[in-house]
Amino acid sequence: MSLEERELEVLIGPQHPASGHMRLVAKIDGDIVVELRPNIGYVHRSVEKLAEVKKYLQIIPLVERPSLADTTANNLAYVMAVEKLLGIEPPPRAQYLRTLLAEINRIHSHFYGMGIHGVMIGSSTAYMWCFGDREPLIELAQELTGARLTYSYIVPGGVRRDLPQGFEDKVEKVMRYLENRMPDYFDLYFNNPVTRARLEGVGVLTKEDAIKLGVTGPNLRASGVPYDVRKAEPYAAYPELDFDVITEEAGDAFARVMVRVREIQESIKIIRQVLKKIPDGPILNEKYMKMIPPNLRKQVEETGHIKFPGVFANLRVPAGEAVARVEGGRGEVVFHIVSDGKMSPYRMRMVTPSFRNVILFEHLTKGARVADIPAIYGSLDYFPPEADR
Amino acid sequence: MAVERTIRHIKALATGAKYMLGGHRLTLMYPDDIQEFPDGYRGMIEYDWDTCIKCGLCAMVCPADAMKMYVSKEESEEGKRPVRRPGINYTRCIFCGFCVDICPTNSLKFTKVHDVAFYTFEEQIYPPERFREGIPKPQYDKEPRRVRAVLDEKRGIRYEPVE
Ligand code: SF4
Ligand code: SF4
Repeated sequence: MSLEERELEVLIGPQHPASGHMRLVAKIDGDIVVELRPNIGYVHRSVEKLAEVKKYLQIIPLVERPSLADTTANNLAYVMAVEKLLGIEPPPRAQYLRTLLAEINRIHSHFYGMGIHGVMIGSSTAYMWCFGDREPLIELAQELTGARLTYSYIVPGGVRRDLPQGFEDKVEKVMRYLENRMPDYFDLYFNNPVTRARLEGVGVLTKEDAIKLGVTGPNLRASGVPYDVRKAEPYAAYPELDFDVITEEAGDAFARVMVRVREIQESIKIIRQVLKKIPDGPILNEKYMKMIPPNLRKQVEETGHIKFPGVFANLRVPAGEAVARVEGGRGEVVFHIVSDGKMSPYRMRMVTPSFRNVILFEHLTKGARVADIPAIYGSLDYFPPEADR
Repeated sequence: MAVERTIRHIKALATGAKYMLGGHRLTLMYPDDIQEFPDGYRGMIEYDWDTCIKCGLCAMVCPADAMKMYVSKEESEEGKRPVRRPGINYTRCIFCGFCVDICPTNSLKFTKVHDVAFYTFEEQIYPPERFREGIPKPQYDKEPRRVRAVLDEKRGIRYEPVE
């Protein structure tokens, strides 16, 4: 390098620089980022191609895997697309249970994102708090589904399990706990002058750019665009629930965090409504319920745990195409399935929010300081495996 | 502005101090404490040899190829035709529980054990004859304390000993 050359190339990653394996190729001039290119694909798992050789039910755990903290969104969007092809609808109670799990998941997914963001800007307390406070929610989900994160709870025609005994009380306790704790989060972290100094005015995304770049989820809403699939194209029990789409105007890293915080409060509201309004009734579509042998059907009614009808092993889906989308914790999840009537999809397309948001790395870091890279990165709640699929 | 900032700094420190002295801890002290899981937890799987009708649905639905049908030797020799029974491979199982949910005779059941720790690769593979003997019992250097997660509106989670 000659003395006249001012720019330096810095490689950040690919060995897990923050929330997963990816590489950021930064060109810097002193302390200023001239250009930053995200280099993705290190954790590509070929989910879409694998889906072509897996049977429809077997794809459920597969699509959950890339997103780790936000599995319900993928599970739900995929199953909704399959249901469109099958021409079946889940019963109302199942719709509410889907919503319940989706919202529990949204809260702990937001905590996950905020926690990692916290440690990226040097607040390990925020990290510990957020990860600790995910735990009560994961306990809830675990009691409902039997697993901590990879729930595989939503199946074509309904859900696998009914509410456990006394679940409502436990949920209420956790919701109160979160509400009790929120003021302390503000005192310790969000209103902490150090946090504000690191995040306010950093990585500003304007409304126009957010729309033009196709950004999604909380990152879009933090720039003042009130777009949420739960409102734009309501699914599950959302049409019957009362909630607001959270937006912030500033479009900076702090606004993105605030959208998540306020969405947690909104999810608490939704969860309370779900538990109040949830109708009685079956949790699996009648058509499949009838296929369960009578003695097992009785057992299903007693235990609240579904037994799969035999057809689930080799579920055949009529030929056609279907698209379904949901609002996950990180943004819009889209599934497009093309079926040729066989036991596996002919083609499956999975569009994840992280993939749509990765463009922001390049867009928001131009002219920022090197120390702002983690502050911006974390504020996007970007998850490499989810983008790579 | 400077005053406001100072107040916020003090608030942040005071909140930190409150938690430091208040003993607000969410950590499960594993392995000294072992958590008992709620009913329906999707852990390792038990197999009932006698009720199984060898239908093969469990192997068909398994998304990870963990459950497979094996030729059951003795029975096959006796009956002079191949008899197939399921076996599980814990190097592959992802604990989705699809096999348990599809089994028409409830021959597969969840246990609450999830410690899939083995010394060798081969030990993790359970052909039917081993599968029927049940899951390995977790072993500990020191008998751990059994605790249960209790959700709490003040503390989030408390781990209480179970008798
Ligand atoms: S364990 Fe159940 S599903 Fe598997 S072969 Fe036996 S009866 Fe069929
Ligand atoms: S739990 Fe899932 S992965 Fe494991 S053997 Fe059963 S079906 Fe296969």
